[in-house]
Amino acid sequence: MTGSRIRADAGQAIDRAHTLRFRFDGKSHEGFAGDTIASALTAAGVRVISRSFKYHRPRGLLCCAGNCPNCLVQIGDEPSVRSCTRPLEEGMDVRPQNAWPSLDHDLMALTESFSRFLPVGFYYKTFHRPRLLWPAFEHVLRHAAGLGTIDEDTPEGDHDKQYLHADVVVVGAGPAGLSAAAAAADAGARVLLIDENPEAGGHLRYHRPDDAASRRIDDCRGRLEQAGGTLLTDTAVVGWYQDHWLSAVRGERLFKIRAGAAVVASGAFEAPAVFAGNDRPGVLLGTAVQRLLHLYGVVPGQRAVVVTANDQGWAVAADLLAAGVEVAAVTDERDAPASNEDVEAVRNAGVTVLTGYTIGAARGKCGVDEVTLTPISGADGGRRIRCDFVAVSTTWIPSAELATMAGAHSRYDEALAEMSLDGLPEGLSLAGRVAGPCTAEEEWLQGERAGAAAAAGTSEMPSGGSMAPAAVRTSSLVAAPESGRDKRFVCLCEDVTDIDIETAVAEGYDRIELLKRYSTIGMGPCQGRMCGFNGIRLCARATGHSVQETGRTTSRPPVKPVSLGALAGQKMEPVQLSCVHDWHVEHGARMMVAGVWLRPEHYGDAAAEVRAVREAAGLIDVSPLGKLKLTGPAAAVLLERLYVNQWQNLRRGRVRYGIMCNDEGVVLDDGVCARIADQEWYVSTTSSGASAALEWMEWWRQSGWGDGVHITDLTDTHAAFNLAGPQAREVLQPLTTRDLSNAAVPYMRARRTDVAGVSCLLLRLGFTGELGYEIHCPAGAGAYLWERLIEAGADHGLKPFGVEAQRILRLEKAHFIVGQDTDALTDPISADAAWAVRFDKEADFLGRRALTRVSEEGPKQRLVGFRTGRRVDALAEGQQAVVQDGGTRPEIIGWISSCRFSPTLQETLGLCWLPADLAAKAEAPFHIYAEGKMEEARVHHGPFYDPEGARLRG
Amino acid sequence: MLRLECPHCGVRNSAEFRYGGEYRPRPAPSTEAAESEWIGYLYQRHNGMGEQIEWWYHRAGCGTWFLVERDRRSNEVARTWLWQPADAAAQKEATP
Repeated sequence: MTGSRIRADAGQAIDRAHTLRFRFDGKSHEGFAGDTIASALTAAGVRVISRSFKYHRPRGLLCCAGNCPNCLVQIGDEPSVRSCTRPLEEGMDVRPQNAWPSLDHDLMALTESFSRFLPVGFYYKTFHRPRLLWPAFEHVLRHAAGLGTIDEDTPEGDHDKQYLHADVVVVGAGPAGLSAAAAAADAGARVLLIDENPEAGGHLRYHRPDDAASRRIDDCRGRLEQAGGTLLTDTAVVGWYQDHWLSAVRGERLFKIRAGAAVVASGAFEAPAVFAGNDRPGVLLGTAVQRLLHLYGVVPGQRAVVVTANDQGWAVAADLLAAGVEVAAVTDERDAPASNEDVEAVRNAGVTVLTGYTIGAARGKCGVDEVTLTPISGADGGRRIRCDFVAVSTTWIPSAELATMAGAHSRYDEALAEMSLDGLPEGLSLAGRVAGPCTAEEEWLQGERAGAAAAAGTSEMPSGGSMAPAAVRTSSLVAAPESGRDKRFVCLCEDVTDIDIETAVAEGYDRIELLKRYSTIGMGPCQGRMCGFNGIRLCARATGHSVQETGRTTSRPPVKPVSLGALAGQKMEPVQLSCVHDWHVEHGARMMVAGVWLRPEHYGDAAAEVRAVREAAGLIDVSPLGKLKLTGPAAAVLLERLYVNQWQNLRRGRVRYGIMCNDEGVVLDDGVCARIADQEWYVSTTSSGASAALEWMEWWRQSGWGDGVHITDLTDTHAAFNLAGPQAREVLQPLTTRDLSNAAVPYMRARRTDVAGVSCLLLRLGFTGELGYEIHCPAGAGAYLWERLIEAGADHGLKPFGVEAQRILRLEKAHFIVGQDTDALTDPISADAAWAVRFDKEADFLGRRALTRVSEEGPKQRLVGFRTGRRVDALAEGQQAVVQDGGTRPEIIGWISSCRFSPTLQETLGLCWLPADLAAKAEAPFHIYAEGKMEEARVHHGPFYDPEGARLRG
Repeated sequence: MLRLECPHCGVRNSAEFRYGGEYRPRPAPSTEAAESEWIGYLYQRHNGMGEQIEWWYHRAGCGTWFLVERDRRSNEVARTWLWQPADAAAQKEATP
């Protein structure tokens, strides 16, 4: 086969004045602007474009429509590019895939000699024993079977997403789609017309384009534009989801489209026939030949054989004759094809016509040199004919994937030997060939009707077209009669033959979905477009079921290959910033992601920050805390139900620590609640659980426990800082008019007050174990207030401190952190907070029933402190607590949930989960298994630092 | 993507909502419920084919929890509404 360009007026897509140079497999070639890579390669006489997945057989252009796997190439770091649809660019360096050392001399093609050792499903059966050798086998197999290579150093590309909205989305811009879009636009709908090709027109572009058709295309486009509609070309609709939610891809952009109603006018495509050597380069589908001729002015060879079962092949043959290509023979399965102008043209040209024949085998050194044409009856009378390419037009497949994803049903139409659609979901209409055979004129008409129906929000199923089934019918042959010893491929992506299908069925994989998974047909790059129907028919033949009974595999997105980058989109991980963020960064804070927030981990030296808080003063930005305002007469009642603590007895201006559980008794969140007024509460929740806590509280409030209570979320609108340390009062007093003496603002009190002229809520707390004030203010004044506090603390040794210092400070006080020391099974009684659970209150609080039980039965594991008396750097959170009696194997009895070296106490300490009986014994020794060694630790009860709490009350 | 009608905000994409599971009213008072009733509420989900009343939360919107009656075979939504005290009694009757 030697492809070449034909006369200068052919090829409406290319610009012959504009030459492009490119390389393929190391050799230089030329093409024209408007060419695809594959059309330029074919014109340049290149016939082998890739090597197959399993047997490394040479493969060439087959479908020319972006369906099959045969023309996949690598361009730079981009693998698996479909060269038949990718536009050619100047200077492109195109490389073949899956071939070594080169495309023409692929040593891996030896694989085929071993094919009897590589039966269908071989990866389930062989290479597994001896087990030790599997890694070696795997290495070889992975190398042998491949689809391009991934360059791990590839820089991140630009990927984005776009949301689109339309009253009517039309998929496919052939005659039916174009007229549907125009009609819907005429009716006043916002219309989006989408086509995967670079131009609208569908099959009219390559099926003998003429002026009348061009005028109609332009007319429809004009009507669409007039009404403000949009035509998206080069865009493939790849998925269809609930309520007409569509995904589509153009290059690296993913569209998410909400359609009010939709018209699917996706047409049909051709699929290969099953015969010996049907995968050879030079065997093309008829529509591929027509595309090459009319779009790019390319013929794939000099001497053709055309194989058909309907009128399409005759049209291809007539097109080839008109382009001056020799047609050696035309076979038609039908005994007496009805006459039409194509049939006449072919007969008049003196071409050998064999009716009742089909192709039995294609042979050649690398491509096709000769074919055997055999009677379909299987009788003798095979004819050998020399040729250098074969056009196969035997099988039409309606592009029904999207319609079935949208909810349409399909059934097998015996007369046409194809799957046809019925039972449309609401708001989905069909038009054109996807709904069944029709003439071009009928396509235009069906489109008009479907467009009008979609604009009205209803569904339209076209009534059958006027074409005789025999003119368009798919081949009745499941596979060609035996001819030659070469393989007959069903699935080109995965190199599965008809024998493989029969073997798989014989092995018991006799249901189509099972057969697919076992044999891997339909699981390669074509996703079943080329092999699906042949696979179903072979399965039906092997099982003795009808095609209708055999059914079809479920269509799922994506219909066309989509790059992972396009699905992932832009790298966007939004984080929330505190109003003091800039100050933190300017002052050397090392920022860390904490939940949805970016927070200072430390400002250079966490231990020094701990010392500042213990000895002088420290200031931490706790703005991420969840902050809620509850108002209403029943606010206290709601809190009584949501928290395990008692609230009704809390007096105005007082603060209490609370724990929130679910009905399983599991700790969900904790924080402090301040009673600002009789009917007003200020509730803080954990930083990481802020939104979950709000959702939880709102759920109960809105499902019967609300009783007039309002919850206002102040998390984002308010900043909060914790000023802590023995000098805290001295730092703060000069900034406020309120007397901060211990008598005026004692421990666990809330006061509204001004600080540096900013109206604040002051909570006197002791999370760090020192005298502390949590200062809440509107976020707009946060940065200002923070700087005033820092200034005021300058003479008192105040340092800003970060999350790490706070974690050490609270650990020295043995306070747990929800989510760090607790998990999805932790109840407050086991977590050493039984004092907070008030069974004596009236409320039927969340967790009451479960906690009553825990309280009666006693916890099995308990959260308890441990200390080591020394510095042990090997200790880390998540390590296991073990006991070892004598020489027996150590037994795991618990785990470490928090662990730090305490700069204050100069030893490593932490919190751990231990069996309740061990945890109850102060000073009880146990071991922690750390980095291969047993480290000794002892149980500790209560805070490690200032156990009486004198400092925080001072 | 499923669309839901928030009783406050109207029809929106389901990505704006959080699914809250099938509606199982809490036995009240919790301490007096039979063990089987309590276990049913806490751990047992109906998970049936067909219609279900379930919770949804308009997380990226108004913050409303509301009830949805949805057919789990077709995703067809029969109605959406704000919780009413009568719903608890009706649901208790409907779920064994």
